[in-house]
Amino acid sequence: MTDKTISKVPGLSRRSLLKAGFAAGAVAGTAGAARAAGDPLITEIQDWNRYLGDGVQSRPYGMPSEFEADVVRRDVEWLTASTESSVNFTPLHDLDGIITPNGLCFERHHGGIAEINPADHRLMINGLVDTPLVFTMEDLKRFPRENRVYFLECAANSGMEWRGSQLNGCQYTHGMVHCVMYTGVPLKLILEEAGLKTNAKWVMPEGADASAMTRSIPMEKALDDCLVAFKMNGEALRPEQGYPLRLVVPGWEGNMWVKWLRRIEVGDEPWHQREETSKYTDLLENGKARRFTWVMDPKSVITSPSPQAPISHGKGPMVISGVAWSGNGRIKRVDVSLDGGRNWKTARLDGPSLSKAMHRFYLDIDWDGSDMLIQSRAMDEHGFFQPTKNELRAARGENSIYHNNGIQTWYVKADGMVENVEVS
Amino acid sequence: MSKFLKALSLGTLIATLPLLAATAHAGDAQKGEKVFKKCAACHAVGEGAKNKVGPELNDVFGRTAGSLGDYKYSKAMIEAGNGGLVWDEATLTTYLTKPRDMVKGTKMAFAGLKKQDDLENVIAYLATYSSAAAPADQQGAAEPAAEEAAAGETETASADTSAAAHAAPVSETRDGGVLGLGRVATDDEVAAWNIDIRPDGTGLPEGSGTVAEGEVLFTDNCAVCHGDFGEGVGRWPVLAGGQDTLTEERPEKTIGSYWPYLSTVYDYVRRAMPYGNARSLSDDDVYALTAYLLYLNDLVDDEDFELSKDNFLEIRLPNEENFIADTRAEEPHYAAKAEPCMSNCKDSAVEITMRARILDVTPGSVDDDDASGMGSVD
Repeated sequence: MTDKTISKVPGLSRRSLLKAGFAAGAVAGTAGAARAAGDPLITEIQDWNRYLGDGVQSRPYGMPSEFEADVVRRDVEWLTASTESSVNFTPLHDLDGIITPNGLCFERHHGGIAEINPADHRLMINGLVDTPLVFTMEDLKRFPRENRVYFLECAANSGMEWRGSQLNGCQYTHGMVHCVMYTGVPLKLILEEAGLKTNAKWVMPEGADASAMTRSIPMEKALDDCLVAFKMNGEALRPEQGYPLRLVVPGWEGNMWVKWLRRIEVGDEPWHQREETSKYTDLLENGKARRFTWVMDPKSVITSPSPQAPISHGKGPMVISGVAWSGNGRIKRVDVSLDGGRNWKTARLDGPSLSKAMHRFYLDIDWDGSDMLIQSRAMDEHGFFQPTKNELRAARGENSIYHNNGIQTWYVKADGMVENVEVS
Repeated sequence: MSKFLKALSLGTLIATLPLLAATAHAGDAQKGEKVFKKCAACHAVGEGAKNKVGPELNDVFGRTAGSLGDYKYSKAMIEAGNGGLVWDEATLTTYLTKPRDMVKGTKMAFAGLKKQDDLENVIAYLATYSSAAAPADQQGAAEPAAEEAAAGETETASADTSAAAHAAPVSETRDGGVLGLGRVATDDEVAAWNIDIRPDGTGLPEGSGTVAEGEVLFTDNCAVCHGDFGEGVGRWPVLAGGQDTLTEERPEKTIGSYWPYLSTVYDYVRRAMPYGNARSLSDDDVYALTAYLLYLNDLVDDEDFELSKDNFLEIRLPNEENFIADTRAEEPHYAAKAEPCMSNCKDSAVEITMRARILDVTPGSVDDDDASGMGSVD
């Protein structure tokens, strides 16, 4: 594998090129040196081994190493008319485990990031309640609270792939998902504090941002597992994730997890707001459109190797790694195919297996160095399997935009480069 | 000849600018940065700023109105520039107070800044990105990073005081409820936030507006993004047309072709439009705009048609019946719930049928300069 062969491959991100190029160079360099006196990184004393580093408190809020500077969220400029109503993507190909670091959780705003002093934030409960109430952040922190790990996936994740493979990188094809631990108050407790009327069947959360985001949520879900959260991964929510308060709607489409949550109205019917009529409805081939398609179906993707994370070594042992999740509950099994779906092996799930959370899977293989068409297929604890993209198209057509959980294929070539493809 | 004279006087004007700005400059650039958020949906300023919906604003001080070669101005703005309008503190102040009063026919939908402080501050902020602005500001422009850093320190140093000034009301308990937390919301508070409308008309305010009134409002507030006829500018949403396209390869989902309920139009425009200046329209304005959107979609044909709380429910959108419940669980691949095949699942060798590199619109890829892909996230 040389720089020459790599640069011949079109459609490869600069980052992948750099990464693969460096790896190839490093292997050649160290092999030569080893024959002589040994690796100078070992035989010579390095600066970091001799001189003192920065002291404590030089980084009061710690940031990643400078060598991780390209592990960042990225956007696709042509997707939207303005950055204030747009989306960027989690760099799934650079991550491992099941928890997404706060600064890498994808963003989707409809009116930019609202910057709210928590002292100025209020949560109102009104509508079909005994007593309409206003809470401050301090009030909310006096309620009993819970810690729960949940994935959040935008309903439009993989939406650009309905008509065929388009974007080279799981960051772009699957990066509208993240998984963090939330600390918050069960919505049930807050609703009970106001007292629900007998005809209270729906709630409508509303955001305080410039889009005043609203969605209708059935009462059954509101009383089941929704949280009013103020922490993520132990620290305050990030501004771009709704600081100081967001709704958590486990397993359901991300648009419903209203950020900058300022109000919850209780009613007897849904409101049919813009985001549940003109958007986030699934247009089928016959012109009908499904609405209230809340649950995120079982889904998985191989994060490495993938187009932004090519294989940087020759044949031999390697780890195929990926993530799986389902809005129905736990992931029970993930199968991986190396030959485009003809034969499958069950992968190894590792790390905590939590309901409606991301799961990490690995398949440890001995790569023979030949081309592979790698796929992953998730199954959840209720027996729902991830369908193929063609099965989804047969059922829905190509205009649905949302809820594309079809099986992803990566074409891994002998030189380690990876492409987003579709197969027969 | 007259143009030459105008150009000449323009030069004189520019020459006197720094003096003017230096003496009159009163705003706080840092506060102006916050005010600029109202503008940022359409305008960029600072390093690498490009034209967006509106022109980029680097070196706007001293710039002749309508003079950026790569931005498509309104006729009115180009004429204003030809007539000698040059942006400086005085002209920007007049313009930003009420843009359409100064340049009739400007594309800029923004209604204007009402507060004198906001005006001064945002102009001071813009000045930091203009080399033709006051010398005092050039200092700021030269070291914006240092300024920011200093500001950061000040903020940290005064964190205690600002926290005290911003202290949340002390959390107290009340009688009633389960835990007795929170306080009773007043009627005025509920009314201020509870502005949602349902398809059955619940929540509709008193008021009315006509198609003709809506047309004026639309041209002033909406057309800059949505186009004069709701056809959408660039990637901004298309609001009209698209009837009978829902089964086509490229369906156009507009209010007339797709939206099920008119109440959603009223609700959404009132809560979130115009983009970047939400909640600035009166209830009557929203009725008028809703009426105009019906007109653009051929759902009413009389310019004198008046939409009001009283006749709102008489209007039904054509696509209402085409929304169905979530039937995903009935799709064959889910309904079967069968154990999937594990070996020899396909008869012949698998072939690649499509490659992303053929339609490569990946950001950062080699040829992405004019890349534009399919699909949408909203």
